[in-house]
Amino acid sequence: MEPKAIKVWEENAVPKHRIQWCPGCGDFGVLAALKQALVELEITPHELVLVGGIGCSGNIRNYLNGNAFHGTHGGPLAYALGIKMANPHLQVICLAGDGDTFAIGVENFVHTCRRDPDMVLLVMNNGVYGLTKGQDSPTAGLGKSVEVWSEEHPPMVDPVLLALASEATFVAQSFSGDVKHTARMIVEAFQHPGFAFINDFSPCVTYNKFNTYEWFREHVEPVPPDHDPSDRDAAWRLVRDFARRGKIPLGVIYRNPRPRAEARRLPVWEGELADVDVEPILATFR
Amino acid sequence: MSGRANRVKVLVGGVQLRDGVSTVTEILGRIFTRAGLFAVAMERGYASTIYGAHQYDPILVADQPPLSYGDPVYDVLVALEYDSNPDAPEQPNRDTVLRHGPNLRDGGILLYDSSTGEIPTESLRARGVKVFPVPARKIALTELKREIVKNIIMTGALFRLLGFDGDFTHLRQLLEERFGRKGRDVVELNLRAAQRGREAVERVLAEQGYTLEVRLEPRPRGRRAVYISGNDCLGIGAIQGGVRFYAGYPITPASGILEFMERWLPRYGGRVLQGQNERESIRAAIGASLAGVRAMVGSSGPGISLKVEEFGVIGATETPVIIVDAQRAGPSTGMPTRPEQGDLNLVTGGAHGDIPRIVLAPSTVEECYTLMLEACELADKYQCPVFFLTDLNLSEGRKTVPEDLFAQRPPIRRHGILREEEVRGRPYRRYEVTPSGISPRVLPGTPGVVFKSSGVEHDEFGFVTIDPRKRAAQMDKRMRKLETYLREDAKPPYVFGETRGNPVMVGWGNTRPVLQEAREILLRRGIPVALVHFTHIYPLPKHLVEPLFADAGPVVVVEQNYSGQFADLLQRELLIRTRRVLKYNGIPLYPTEVADAVQRALRQEGAVVRIGSPEPVKVEVGGDGAEGH
Ligand SMILES: Cc1ncc(C[n+]2csc(CCOP(=O)(O)OP(=O)(O)O)c2C)c(N)n1
Ligand code: SF4
Repeated sequence: MEPKAIKVWEENAVPKHRIQWCPGCGDFGVLAALKQALVELEITPHELVLVGGIGCSGNIRNYLNGNAFHGTHGGPLAYALGIKMANPHLQVICLAGDGDTFAIGVENFVHTCRRDPDMVLLVMNNGVYGLTKGQDSPTAGLGKSVEVWSEEHPPMVDPVLLALASEATFVAQSFSGDVKHTARMIVEAFQHPGFAFINDFSPCVTYNKFNTYEWFREHVEPVPPDHDPSDRDAAWRLVRDFARRGKIPLGVIYRNPRPRAEARRLPVWEGELADVDVEPILATFR
Repeated sequence: MSGRANRVKVLVGGVQLRDGVSTVTEILGRIFTRAGLFAVAMERGYASTIYGAHQYDPILVADQPPLSYGDPVYDVLVALEYDSNPDAPEQPNRDTVLRHGPNLRDGGILLYDSSTGEIPTESLRARGVKVFPVPARKIALTELKREIVKNIIMTGALFRLLGFDGDFTHLRQLLEERFGRKGRDVVELNLRAAQRGREAVERVLAEQGYTLEVRLEPRPRGRRAVYISGNDCLGIGAIQGGVRFYAGYPITPASGILEFMERWLPRYGGRVLQGQNERESIRAAIGASLAGVRAMVGSSGPGISLKVEEFGVIGATETPVIIVDAQRAGPSTGMPTRPEQGDLNLVTGGAHGDIPRIVLAPSTVEECYTLMLEACELADKYQCPVFFLTDLNLSEGRKTVPEDLFAQRPPIRRHGILREEEVRGRPYRRYEVTPSGISPRVLPGTPGVVFKSSGVEHDEFGFVTIDPRKRAAQMDKRMRKLETYLREDAKPPYVFGETRGNPVMVGWGNTRPVLQEAREILLRRGIPVALVHFTHIYPLPKHLVEPLFADAGPVVVVEQNYSGQFADLLQRELLIRTRRVLKYNGIPLYPTEVADAVQRALRQEGAVVRIGSPEPVKVEVGGDGAEGH
């Protein structure tokens, strides 16, 4: 990748020396992958909106050029939905944590999958709440065997299965330790017409001492080349088969775009809002 | 009738969903409006259960615009129930007659559907009430073979009683517009039904020898008028005010706004989102606003509570959003179909920390339109949440409104949005500290510039900070908007009469017409009371208001909630003592009871007078729905 092109994504951003992630945090890999992907996609920063979640992960929005918004914990998908409905010409990506997306924001996640707005969600899944210092997130316990589940410790949410069950049209999985592959997934996600979800495994080196880089390297495996991502049943089978073998599939697991209605930018400027004739409305009240 | 010709108050009652109460009042309201009269149906009596509860809809019609919907005294009672409870040993029609009979004026008229028999009306007759049993359902079923026309039979009967539309010109026209497409037969069938109703009344008149004193005369009106609800008016206001994104989650009484917007906004290039919950709705509106679209959400108490988290986001990220709160009675799910002014504390204080915000409350159906235009501009200019407080009666109540109202439309101004040429080549600070507190924004997609916007405390560029000086500077900047607003845009309250030396009645929001009428009653009683009524609620324009109270007599705040939320605000802001008149039983305020209560409150320093009358509706145990919606 040309260093000059990458540099575009470093302007208007918090400088590298002030990035507030722990050294070695998996989110660095996502940041690097994002820059590569954005260069490859030839997106310009002013047409990009980065919607961050609340968490270590969501801070990525400030470490990269582009417009950024950041509201409530669990909220990014719904803000992004509004942005995209208002102006479909914008490139919108949500960058959130697993707590953000699958705990407090799970309602937004399920319904955004169903709505299928043309945007990307990249979840930096580390199995913990990083920013609040290591409590279990709904994806906690990946790869650990458990004898008894309880109300306090229920089985983990599998983001991929949840997305499939929620009628998502693009589901991919990546590992931030593999920057090149993650970048590839981001590119494909942007190219997907509809809602594209990437579950990225992004190790929390401080609080998740089990799902380490080494652990992931041992457990990830690329999606086999003969997998047909447009086949929903095959996607389910793939995830189940990998789980049975204690493995994690990386790659595009499901991709099946839905027909889309053409969307236009909503009226914004004075000129577009003048000359409103409400006569047809009044006629219904006479 | 009631000594005043051309002014009649009719109450139509029946079984919810079955009897078509609101269909009848809708037809009446429209026809009266077309005939050049003024109709007001602002009190909506219904329950949360969908089927089977008692429903009533009073409609006041006059040849001059009535001030308010008035007291619960009726000239005519129309009972549409032919048999409200077939299993009960009591007579049919018991609900409307039992509940509202006591409020029928002596010498008034009772019209009821006698299809399953006549009901005992001795006590009413003893009060001079003229009783008109019309077996509408029976006629509809046996003669006209269509049960559905029973309400038109009753309408025809009512028109005869009011001496109105003798040749059914108006009714015919409305029917032709409604059913014309279904064929002449349908129109003719309905007209025959109306004729049957008229004949039934003639028969009773002949038998009983009653004479009718009322004649409701159509009057030619120069200007066109519509019969319209507050929700619809604020919807038109939002469209004319440039709102092009609306999001809502169904809730009474705000659902009407969602339905209006779903029907109309797309035709003006906008989009409507039925959120999957309250949070998705308001968040999507924030997103749309961030992208530059004027965005609005609507809800009621329970939904507004769920949105509180986002009030802070809107305040801190300085993203304009208009939030309509069509109040209903709380707390919790409360009484979904009953009016209250109980959300003031929620919208003036909801959110952790401090945010700039503006709270407006229209006082009439017309103001739902005009004030909404203002709300759209204010949200844009101040980049903060603008709350718009209506309530059940105002939202769903209907009124005759001259159409030239909607020709009032100040030009839209997109305030403080920088275009490409204004930002090119200089560092852009989204949260620049400015004397006005307003920082110009850019929209995403503006070539050559990006912004960082965040609800976490940030510096001028939008990056996270906990630097105490930057924090203070941002907080000051944001809150300074309110000073600018107070200086440039806040409007004084309505003032009726002279406050100096006189007792002052104070109100806010939709109660203005009732309070104006209460004031006239008090004046007639020799009490020289002034009325100060607020639409611009928060921040309170102290500099405009203080002089009004400086030399005033005792101040009585009248509102529809338990504690006197506005009285608290007034006391806090102006450091004055208030007396309070409060009603919170789910029934709207009526002019005479307000006048009485204010009179009582004036007798004692610091008085709190609670209006607790259960009138006019006798609620029976389990008689009204308890389900939420
Ligand atoms: C409504 C609300 N509840 C709780 C919090 C506290 N909080 C901040 S970040 C966070 C979880 C972060 O975990 P995750 O989303 O997995 O992101 P990570 O930090 O691991 O990247 C929580 C609970 C909050 N900011 N807002
Ligand atoms: S706490 Fe974990 S997720 Fe947060 S920055 Fe540190 S390593 Fe990354």
